[in-house]
Amino acid sequence: MQADGHARFAASVLPHLDAAYNLARWLVRDGHDAQDVVQNALVRALRHFDGFRGGDPRPWLLAIVRNAAFAWLGARRPNEVEVPDDELDAALAIGAPPADPESLAIRHAQRREIDEAIAALPIAFREALVLRELEELSYREIARITDVPIGTVMSRLSRARHLLAIALRPQATRSPA
Amino acid sequence: MNDDDLWLDALLDDELDAAASVALQRRLAAEPALQRRFEERRALREAVRTQATRHAAPEALRAHLQTMLAPVPAPAPAPARPEAAPRVTRGRAPWRLRVLPWATGLGGALVASLCTLAVVDPAALGWHRGDALSALQTAEASEAVSAHTRALLVDHPIEVASSDQHTVRPWLSARLNFVPPVVDLVAQGYPLIGARRDVLAGQTAAALVYRHGAHVISVFVRPAEPNAPADVEATRVVRGFNVIERTRGGLAFCFVSDVNPRDLQTLADLVTPLAGTGHQ
Repeated sequence: MQADGHARFAASVLPHLDAAYNLARWLVRDGHDAQDVVQNALVRALRHFDGFRGGDPRPWLLAIVRNAAFAWLGARRPNEVEVPDDELDAALAIGAPPADPESLAIRHAQRREIDEAIAALPIAFREALVLRELEELSYREIARITDVPIGTVMSRLSRARHLLAIALRPQATRSPA
Repeated sequence: MNDDDLWLDALLDDELDAAASVALQRRLAAEPALQRRFEERRALREAVRTQATRHAAPEALRAHLQTMLAPVPAPAPAPARPEAAPRVTRGRAPWRLRVLPWATGLGGALVASLCTLAVVDPAALGWHRGDALSALQTAEASEAVSAHTRALLVDHPIEVASSDQHTVRPWLSARLNFVPPVVDLVAQGYPLIGARRDVLAGQTAAALVYRHGAHVISVFVRPAEPNAPADVEATRVVRGFNVIERTRGGLAFCFVSDVNPRDLQTLADLVTPLAGTGHQ
């Protein structure tokens, strides 16, 4: 690639480095590992930049970061990315359905509690939530990045929020851990 | 959760079309319980959006990537030539010292070579073998290339750094449930640098690392699928890397490198006949 190609790549991609790192950090849940993932992703992105036909580089980059994170996890912590469906269902069954609608009211949660609740989500739910709430991508963009139908994005997002609501429910109404 | 939540979320996320949105607003006005649920969802969303941590990229990473993307000087600096480099000997870690500075630095030479190779059209090389292609999974080749580049760029490329096959082989056999052929081929121009374990197609594989000229070659070895056809071979270009897959003697080999296809083939021809022969 020519030097001006590098410059063009840097100008398109580096402004989104925080978003790339944020996604990697939430997926692998470790700062150091997230840096590895972002580096892998950037090398891959650079190689494929010729194939990038313009438009918004952010979803394009995030898709590459996401795939790099899954490849990274698949090689090192495969149990985190191979969550069987029945386990996802079990995660949902824990708190459903709430007997008392009031119990879903969210405490005045602290940042740390919210972070922990997000980090505890199964990865399929976590990535949908992070892409939507923190990166503010549309359902369509999230579907493209995570390579699932829009309907799946909707249900994952909804389930993610449901699990968060349970985790952040006022202490008194939660069953003891 | 129930289906209503999907609709409430879609409304919150501004993803409903006008008709659906109006219909849902009408329901909300008529159903206090639904309205309350909607408010709860909105509160949760606000809490997450305002309070969840947005992790900013560390300065070190940013600086690193800026260096990587700095204009490539021409001609690109050549990495250490193996002819000039001392033979890798047991007990030292010359690999890390000599190779990693340019590899982890994503030096111009490496990035430039990746980019050059990436534009090579595999069909133009004319060395596809159609039948074998279908027999072996493209996904696995792709995974092997990822493992190879990962090892080159940021990871631990080698767990046991040694050119001594009598060191590498016991190290691997102690950690794997199969025995890959391990042989130093320095006389043939392919010094063995070391080995590590890696994961390929969900299986633990041995990754032997050879050098040829300025190129690093990863040789992944794992037991072949029991029902895999014997003695199949596929060669291809995956993301700019040459890949040769071969099953021989009950083992599935995958050779990955940016070295030219002929030299990769030479190594494959040297290594694979040793599979299952007990020759070590």
